[in-house]
Amino acid sequence: MKEILKNILDWLEPKVNYADLRFVQTEEENIEVEDGILSSYNVLTNRGVGMRVLADGAWGFAASNNLDKISLLKTAAKALDIARASALSKKEDIKLAPEDKHIDTYTTPIIKDPFQVSPAEKIDLLAKSTKVMLKDKVKKSEGSLSFYKTHKIFMSTEGSEVEQTIFESGGGIVAYAIGEGDFQKRSYPSSFGGDYATRGYEFIEEMNLLENAPRVAEEANQLLTALPAPIGTMDIVLGGSQLALQVHESCGHPVELDRVLGKEISYAGGSFLTLDKLNNFTYGSPEVTIVADATVPGGLGTFGYDDEGVPASKTYLVKRGKFVGYLTSREDAFKLGLTSNGAARAQSWNRIPLVRMTNINLLPGNLELDELIGDIKEGLYLDYNKSWSIDDKRINFQFGTEIAWEIKNGKLGRIYKNAVYQGITPEFWRSCDGISSEKYWHIWGVPNCGKGQPSQTMHVAHGTSPARFRKVKVGASK
Amino acid sequence: MIDIDSGKELVNKVKNILKKNYDFEIITSGYKSELTRFAESYIHQNVAETNLSLTVKVIYEDRIGSVQMNSLDESTISKNIEKAIEIAKIAPKLDYHYRLVTPQSYSIKSKYSEKTANFTPLNRAQLVKQLIKEVNHRGYEAAGAFRTEESTFLVANSEGVFAFDRGTKADFNCVITRDNSTAHTSFIDSDINNFDIDKIIDVLLETALKNVEQIEIEPGMYTVILSPEAVAEILNYTGYTAFNGKLIMEGKSFVCHNQDKNIFPENITVADDPLDRFTMPIPFDLVGYPRRKIYLVKDGVVKDGVYDYLTALKYNKKCTGNTLSPEYASFGALPFNLVMEEGENSVEEMISCTKKGIYISRLHYVNILNPMSIQLTGMTRDGTFLIEDGKIGRAIKNMRFNTSVIDMLKGVDMISTERQTKEGFVGPTVAPYLRTNNFTFSSKTSF
Repeated sequence: MKEILKNILDWLEPKVNYADLRFVQTEEENIEVEDGILSSYNVLTNRGVGMRVLADGAWGFAASNNLDKISLLKTAAKALDIARASALSKKEDIKLAPEDKHIDTYTTPIIKDPFQVSPAEKIDLLAKSTKVMLKDKVKKSEGSLSFYKTHKIFMSTEGSEVEQTIFESGGGIVAYAIGEGDFQKRSYPSSFGGDYATRGYEFIEEMNLLENAPRVAEEANQLLTALPAPIGTMDIVLGGSQLALQVHESCGHPVELDRVLGKEISYAGGSFLTLDKLNNFTYGSPEVTIVADATVPGGLGTFGYDDEGVPASKTYLVKRGKFVGYLTSREDAFKLGLTSNGAARAQSWNRIPLVRMTNINLLPGNLELDELIGDIKEGLYLDYNKSWSIDDKRINFQFGTEIAWEIKNGKLGRIYKNAVYQGITPEFWRSCDGISSEKYWHIWGVPNCGKGQPSQTMHVAHGTSPARFRKVKVGASK
Repeated sequence: MIDIDSGKELVNKVKNILKKNYDFEIITSGYKSELTRFAESYIHQNVAETNLSLTVKVIYEDRIGSVQMNSLDESTISKNIEKAIEIAKIAPKLDYHYRLVTPQSYSIKSKYSEKTANFTPLNRAQLVKQLIKEVNHRGYEAAGAFRTEESTFLVANSEGVFAFDRGTKADFNCVITRDNSTAHTSFIDSDINNFDIDKIIDVLLETALKNVEQIEIEPGMYTVILSPEAVAEILNYTGYTAFNGKLIMEGKSFVCHNQDKNIFPENITVADDPLDRFTMPIPFDLVGYPRRKIYLVKDGVVKDGVYDYLTALKYNKKCTGNTLSPEYASFGALPFNLVMEEGENSVEEMISCTKKGIYISRLHYVNILNPMSIQLTGMTRDGTFLIEDGKIGRAIKNMRFNTSVIDMLKGVDMISTERQTKEGFVGPTVAPYLRTNNFTFSSKTSF
């Protein structure tokens, strides 16, 4: 394949300002079990080549699953035609931030290849875990496992040649307690598909799905008869799983530089973190430091190089509360006189790289969980996302959680259902006055981050430990 | 892409590999899709993709293994089918008998337009250029996406089902902006001949020029008039969370306790209807079950949901032709062609009859808060206006709504005769303007 790609690059080189080609082949396994019974076991293989060319100062991209040389040459010609059509409405020539030539390979370090684990073992784990949850009012249970092995070759007219093999594993379980006119769900280890990482099957084994299943089911049962969360303004602690989504929506997306520049405005929206605010805006309290770190071992957003051939890096986004950085691509970084921090990622061969999150991590503080909760007289501990929504500049957000625990005089009390909290992004992060320590820190994999047209789903992650926020508006869905 | 002849060849290929030892279902999906995206008034992304994938589901004594590939050479197909057989052999048995769909006849066809199929990047770029030029002239920037695509679908099985279809789609969306003044419009149709760039420019500018100097109003319950864009979004989420037959069977939908009850006003009828003249019909589902009109709400009475083939077998229901591809098997079903029936009022009447209310052009980031009450949340964007004394008045800042669709529909007293085709979760959604006296805003934002 490399030889064919090289030939196509040679053909393109005299005709373009720049071109890159990406061959991507993904093997994927998705296993879903309901109530102890296998509902689907799907094995997917997908491969193709995407070609991005910059010609006449404008972009064109064409992609095909047909890998014979003639078809690929036609695809390259199509990309060129498209670039020339784009040039019809250009404002100025597209320029890319400089990047060194990289010739390298990267493979996710794993202990146990998930594709070598027998289908029977995987089904058995989910069957047992979902069966054990069917107790009392838990009338429905689900479990899922997903595994990906992605082989990528990136080659550019600048001479870069990067080959990567990325392994990803993930899964989780859900219990549904169902009553008359109401149902409540509890997920483990996280909601909406569980937890994911660039790790092998050892990640699944460490989840201890079967061991946690009874507790999760019991919480679902309790939720069915629990009172709705109280309405009011109070102090809250967000558990790590919910905080991951809070970071995702209210920090991860608004620091995407393409959004800030208006490139996503018609669809996903823009960002309140406009260019004038860089290094000049108090995003949060001094407790809050957030980094984009694609180098952290095991994170779902960890890789060797992004899909523009830029090495993975660590970048500060918010430092002790100050807004200090964006996620960038080479094109967008150039506009700010920067170099790319390696956040241009494509879902697969058939999509262009967009500015995407990697691992967007809220760095841990130094408090014990007891201390975090202990300083609240009356409040809530909320965790496990159930509903999420945020405005098109990422200011007004509202999240619902699967479960909330009462905090009274510094101690956790009874549970509440249908909890919702709402806020304004900078006000909320400025109200953060405590983050628990590294002991509680975990990188949560989010395998379903959507963006772009045509739509792309990206695998990203967020390192968090539970954190405390003061005077937050809470309530309950009805 | 695939045609009937190459489809037959493919079915034979799979048949030869599996011999008569296993039942099978196959789905072949081929498409050529091109999309031109623009922002800050220039084309910043411009892409084309061709792909052809084959899904093979092997069924062996009520055990199923499924594989999908997009390399269709003989050895890849064989290798993948071997994997499907391996899974089917070790998979635990389903708790119901899986029998294949028998051969069906199909009376509906997708709409196909040669012009849409052959629309070029240059054709799209020229229209985008015209739009940009005209909105720039009025001081606005344009951002949006313009897609044209051609697709083919083949569903077949070892019982003799052979369902082939091809269709085309053109869709367009655009936001224009000048400071806080914004407007949005969208278009979706099988035929690019129906795309009228002059009309789109007029609609955008008309809304944007009114959407200035937004004032802040307090959250609370309001009478609102929702545009078809907003109604379609609400219907999409309602179809997803309330009318999925699997959720109904599991006791996780509001339909469970409200079936056959007259809950809504008589003028509310919602269906999954491939025959509606405004929709882009999908003729069969992904097991080859023919599609037909299914009422979800008829004359205000809650009927039933839509059922995929697996759920129908498991719970002894009738499949409604809403089966999704095997990777979504555990999800259940979605309406493919959601439509809301028209009412009797013109949009002008609806506005002129409203003494005090709010007009909502577009919703953003809608999500489900409570599935049993179909309580949804989301934001308004790109043009929210006060209606004062029967006229569209001052623009207002965006608001968050937390509102139950049940309550919202109970409060509907006017529905427009005009309906528009908008983006749906599977096929498009056809929606009118609605006026409801029961729509709750819970908080506000700063723009």
